[in-house]
Amino acid sequence: MLVLSRQRDETIMIGDEVEITVVDIRGDKVRLGITAPRQVQVHRKEVYEAIKRENTDAVDVRVEDLTAADQQLRTTFRQPRPRRGPLHGT
Amino acid sequence: MLIETSRFGQVDVEGSRILEFPKGLLGFPRHTRYVLLEAERDSYFWWLQSVDAADLAFVVTDPSLFVSTYRVPLRQEQMDEMGMASLDEAQVFVIVNKRGNVLTGNLQGPLVVHVQERRGEQLVLSDRRFTTRVPLMEITPKMQAASA
Repeated sequence: MLVLSRQRDETIMIGDEVEITVVDIRGDKVRLGITAPRQVQVHRKEVYEAIKRENTDAVDVRVEDLTAADQQLRTTFRQPRPRRGPLHGT
Repeated sequence: MLIETSRFGQVDVEGSRILEFPKGLLGFPRHTRYVLLEAERDSYFWWLQSVDAADLAFVVTDPSLFVSTYRVPLRQEQMDEMGMASLDEAQVFVIVNKRGNVLTGNLQGPLVVHVQERRGEQLVLSDRRFTTRVPLMEITPKMQAASA
């Protein structure tokens, strides 16, 4: 990891298109401003990791689990699943 | 076109049904092409099946069926990037997981699909009200039928 020290209002460049600026420092908390091209996703790492982990776990759901769930939902909703447009057409 | 799937065998789908996720999904950046498959007719769930990897598939559902307060905020630049002029052009899904007997939805990382363009993206929401494991429903064990 490259470690740089920056003071308030100072900036780091990553490549040609990503900038990180120290906007504010208050006690333990640093506020960072990030400028990046639209296609570069910027996230708090722990949130990113949680979603990635959840995606990876989700491949373990089984077809039988859904059959049981559907039966229960049909009883609850007492009507066919609402149709929602072209994406759901066959 | 024919797609190999580990759960459903070989499936024939029209090419126009393929959904493109240019950035992939988090953790699966190189798998960009998927189709939505219904496991059963009129199911409340779909399988988002990778076109390129037979065993890669996620259960997805419409979160509004379970969480009526759920809203996915889209900034103008996100809509621009997805080529959407209005929110009507978007369909939101969440990936479903299972913990014990409870189906959970990842409402922190929803999939937003531009329906007409067949293009989607997994967003990361910073709203902490919605977590990666929002309980959707509990699967209760089957009731025993009364004996004849």
